[in-house]
Amino acid sequence: MSDLLAELRAILGAGGVLARPEELFVYEADGLTHHTARPSAVVLPRDTSEVQRCVRACRKHGVPFVPRGAGTGLSGGAVACHDGVVIECARMNRVLRVDPDNRIAVVQPGVVNADLSKAVAKHGLFYAPDPSSQQSCTLGGNVAENSGGPHTLKYGTTTNHVLALEVVLPDGELVRLGNASGFASGLDLVGAFVGSEGTLGIVTEITLRLVPHPERVETLLGIFSDVVSACRAVGAIIKSGLVPSALEIVDQRTIRAVEASVYAAGMPTDAGAILIVELDGPSAAVAAQVERARAHCSDAGAREVAVARDAAERQRFWRARKGAFGAMGRLAPDLYVHDAVVPRAKLPEILEQVCAIGDKYGLRLSNVFHAGDGNLHPNISFDRRDADELARVIKAGEEILRICVEAGGVISGEHGIGLEKREYIGLVFSEADLAAMALLRDAFDPERVCNPGKIFPTTRFCAESNPKARGYDRVEFE
Amino acid sequence: MSDAFEQLARELGPQFERHAPLALEGAALEATLRPRSAEACAAALGALSRAGVGALITGGGTRLASANAPCRARVRLDTTALREAPELDLDEGVARFSAGTTLAEIEAQLAGSIWQLPFDPPGEGGTLGGALASAALGPSFSHPRDVVLGLGIALASGVLVKSGGRVVKNVTGYDLNKLFVGSNGGLGVITSAWIRLRPRPERVDVLVAPAPQDPALTLAAARAFSARAVAVIDAALAPQSCAAAGSARAFVLELAGDEAAVRADRAAFAAQLGASDAPAGALAELRAAQGSGAVRFRVAALPSEGELLRGSLSAAGASTLVYPTRGLVYARFDASASSNADASAFAAQLGAVASAAQRAGGAWRVEAAPAALRSGQEVLGARDETLALQRALKRAYDPRGILNPGRGFGEA
Repeated sequence: MSDLLAELRAILGAGGVLARPEELFVYEADGLTHHTARPSAVVLPRDTSEVQRCVRACRKHGVPFVPRGAGTGLSGGAVACHDGVVIECARMNRVLRVDPDNRIAVVQPGVVNADLSKAVAKHGLFYAPDPSSQQSCTLGGNVAENSGGPHTLKYGTTTNHVLALEVVLPDGELVRLGNASGFASGLDLVGAFVGSEGTLGIVTEITLRLVPHPERVETLLGIFSDVVSACRAVGAIIKSGLVPSALEIVDQRTIRAVEASVYAAGMPTDAGAILIVELDGPSAAVAAQVERARAHCSDAGAREVAVARDAAERQRFWRARKGAFGAMGRLAPDLYVHDAVVPRAKLPEILEQVCAIGDKYGLRLSNVFHAGDGNLHPNISFDRRDADELARVIKAGEEILRICVEAGGVISGEHGIGLEKREYIGLVFSEADLAAMALLRDAFDPERVCNPGKIFPTTRFCAESNPKARGYDRVEFE
Repeated sequence: MSDAFEQLARELGPQFERHAPLALEGAALEATLRPRSAEACAAALGALSRAGVGALITGGGTRLASANAPCRARVRLDTTALREAPELDLDEGVARFSAGTTLAEIEAQLAGSIWQLPFDPPGEGGTLGGALASAALGPSFSHPRDVVLGLGIALASGVLVKSGGRVVKNVTGYDLNKLFVGSNGGLGVITSAWIRLRPRPERVDVLVAPAPQDPALTLAAARAFSARAVAVIDAALAPQSCAAAGSARAFVLELAGDEAAVRADRAAFAAQLGASDAPAGALAELRAAQGSGAVRFRVAALPSEGELLRGSLSAAGASTLVYPTRGLVYARFDASASSNADASAFAAQLGAVASAAQRAGGAWRVEAAPAALRSGQEVLGARDETLALQRALKRAYDPRGILNPGRGFGEA
């Protein structure tokens, strides 16, 4: 390792390599705090060439590496297993080009999500995917995780907005995938790469599609006596063919946490749930859509439906949603933000089951989620120092995933599999399905040196399917 | 080969139907497989792999001429009998269809619901599997990659796998949907797909106006409306629309959405550009321009390069259909009289299209050309730095090279 560190320092300078324990401590986890592994070093390249040279140095010394953005991920994807080196791209944070005529932007991977929308706002454009961590997460990380957010219901996730990528492959070669036009020759390598959780290479440049600001935005707040009624309103809206830009539910426990925090938004704490419905588009269309959405909420039993009168009120409605995770920090030292998706028509019954599971294990479980996508986020407040509570959290999480899969859903809508769910991916996919995915991995990274130990379960097939693999994915149990 | 065929006959039984050589895509196909289930399709591929026999994969046959000409294909694998009962979830707006279902049948099944299939590629009898494998586009909807939620895939190894799922948001594992959509059947055979349906608009109006002289005005006008299809098309491809517009090139706009929005856009479009109702066949003309004619190309570039591309392709003798907001230009060349002239003319046309695409920083591909002209030519675009990766993927998924051999990018 000392030889590798010396080589990395020669590439990046002493300030570009972190290797002291106190420096590495903060890289032991990402936003999922109960899966930890300390990297052997963290490197901070400033450009593509430095990324290439770092990758080649790691390969020369037989050390795996892990790309990392801001570390806001929630599945342990940016954690370095096997004493790997973290290649953090946060210093590559320039917006390289904005082309308003063609509605595209070219950025480095370390650009913060929200900063891109700020940079292009003067052109009447914005970048649509808006994960909850958008004030700090990076676009490179968004590409790795195919990040979503509240407005993906209408605008799609990251994959719908990436046109081209520059990627340092796991062997250190540089390749451009895709084309700014969105059409490239042959296979859709951009589509295959987005959401690959940093296992196929390191993104060093991203060409993104921008979206014009809608002519009109209206935000409704439906206040319901219980979360099941709010879910029914969502089902009715979807079934009617209305496509809001966002449909978000916040349950009572979350409302109370928010109202007791600095994020207090004036929401009624006796409400069972609130539903935020945002509609945007041409002025002529939105007015009629607001009335349709209002009627669906009322029919589902909303005790009150309000329409934001101005931008300040819209922000207040959203504060109840966006302040939720921060507010939960007051409840317990740790927060497990789960992530699963079910068919939207199944939301009422699944929500009831999720709450019952939380009660069964004596956990503080609350729900704030992208209801329009069927994307649940059961949040469990806990203390990881309490081994018994942690065990119950894990067990409850597994049960929640199982009921979601049984309902026709999947185990992740936007957080990814990472370390967190690699042992559960078999709930959704057979070994044959996973082996088909591993073929994609083999084409990019036959030796499995780029972010090893993620996505795939630690069962035998992953190591055995590819004789070139170095065994980083090899079993800890067989 | 006869030994291989004997082996296939033993393994597959009567479903391995030998016949007199069938000329298709320049290949002489000596047998046909028409699996009736996804499992049978996978079993057939496994047998073909073991025998080392290449297969030409076909659906409705509407996009056969848009890939490289095959080589080493001896068997036809016809997917049109993959027709299991659909699963329609109209509360959710999603549905699963088998690959052999035609797009027209899907539309018929959705008729009367609020949902529609968000594909409109040209060609009668086209199947869902074919539309996805060839990433077929039409005038009104975006790329099929954006609406595929999950796939059933038969692999060359003989294994049936799935990717994605039936929910509208999903990052569980790699997104193999994207890899297989547009892969021209070279990595596996799509046997079924979960599709995110689109709500039918309350109102659809198709309008036509003379194409603005200033291309910037075309783009600005197109973006000003909540249009679903926006096209500028030559009179040679759209005589009805151009006659209605009173112009050598027509600006065709399909407005689709809520009643009030369409009415407002319609009034504004009429006031700004003198638009009027398009003739009934205007959208059909767009589809025909994309889907008929012996020699056709598609070039994709940034929208700002659309007029440059159109000019270059017109100068090379093509009639053009431009989708200005998508940066797509379709170019159709009329056939010459003799086959020799065709060969040299095709080479010249391909060269002109490729250089126009290069100047515009875009990507080109052949949309259709006779197999004899495509033989030995790379027709799927300029070879680039991704070639090694694309070949590695082909080797990984199809190590014996039995799936559409020669048809994929970089295989000509």
